[in-house]
Amino acid sequence: MFDPVHERELVERCRRGDEGAFEELVDRYKDLVFALIARTVQDKSRAEDLAQDVFLRIHRGLPYFRGEARLSTWIYRIVANVCVQNQARPALATTTVSLDDERTGERHTPSAVDRGFRDFELRDRLEKAVARLPANARLLVAAHYLDGVRYEELAEALGLPLGTVKTQLYRAKQQLRRLLETELK
Amino acid sequence: MFCDEALDLVESIADGELTPEGRVAAHLATCPNCAAALDSARRLEQALRARPVPRAPARFTARTMTILRRRRWRSEQFLDVGFNLALGVVALAVVGGVVVLLNRAGVTSIGNGAMDVMSGGVMRLARRAAPAVPVYAGATALLAAALGIWWWAEKEI
Repeated sequence: MFDPVHERELVERCRRGDEGAFEELVDRYKDLVFALIARTVQDKSRAEDLAQDVFLRIHRGLPYFRGEARLSTWIYRIVANVCVQNQARPALATTTVSLDDERTGERHTPSAVDRGFRDFELRDRLEKAVARLPANARLLVAAHYLDGVRYEELAEALGLPLGTVKTQLYRAKQQLRRLLETELK
Repeated sequence: MFCDEALDLVESIADGELTPEGRVAAHLATCPNCAAALDSARRLEQALRARPVPRAPARFTARTMTILRRRRWRSEQFLDVGFNLALGVVALAVVGGVVVLLNRAGVTSIGNGAMDVMSGGVMRLARRAAPAVPVYAGATALLAAALGIWWWAEKEI
């Protein structure tokens, strides 16, 4: 990640229309943005288009970026919007599992036997289970396990209190455990 | 401690936010269901941490910058066309306004007379100059060739 001074300088250069500065910004954040999106969207072939869309929005929005939040926080917010809007597209809308069902649903009682599980199958099932979560929960699960993404930044980006972000993440994980009940035994 | 309370803490224990102590630790040590839930939460945690981190494709930056430049070029083109159209509309409005003013002031009829006199004069001039047209054409061609050679020489420099 950037140090704040370098970040401010870079933003200023971008705002002055310095194309090289924006290229540097894309270079710095492309892996993070791409990883978040590729882990969040179901249609992986759209990940690059959506990541590019994020950077085009950043470019359009930079003149209005007041620097009150960190640049990375603002970028997470744009990623979240792009992911949510992508899910809202009718062609790509898929069945998701409401996290609220977790509360009313029957609590699962896993057995402690059979500790062996197949990694490959689990990974495959995990991706499918993550894809069934609502977009915001997917983003939280994706971001929480990427280096350098802090709870505080996510909370600010999503406009939620820190406690709510943690609660939503725990509920998403409870939901994943329910969906992967067999594989996790 | 009840299972419900312990199960609520399983996720935060598994991801290391919370260390089980006292009543919680005692319950987890004695309740097989809660211990199994913690076990599966830990496995999920491991699996989530082991998820591959996708990296941006090669030339992602270059492609993004190309799209950005193309969009900027398009918006500039759009601005240019808009500006030219606006100029055309203004010019038409000015000409229209002048014509309306001339009509109202009765200057058009005087203008028509003047046009007749002028067109008569032009016709007489054309009849007188007709025999010399090839000479004028030759001179114009020579002048155009000279200008062309000058332009070409300037361009090469």
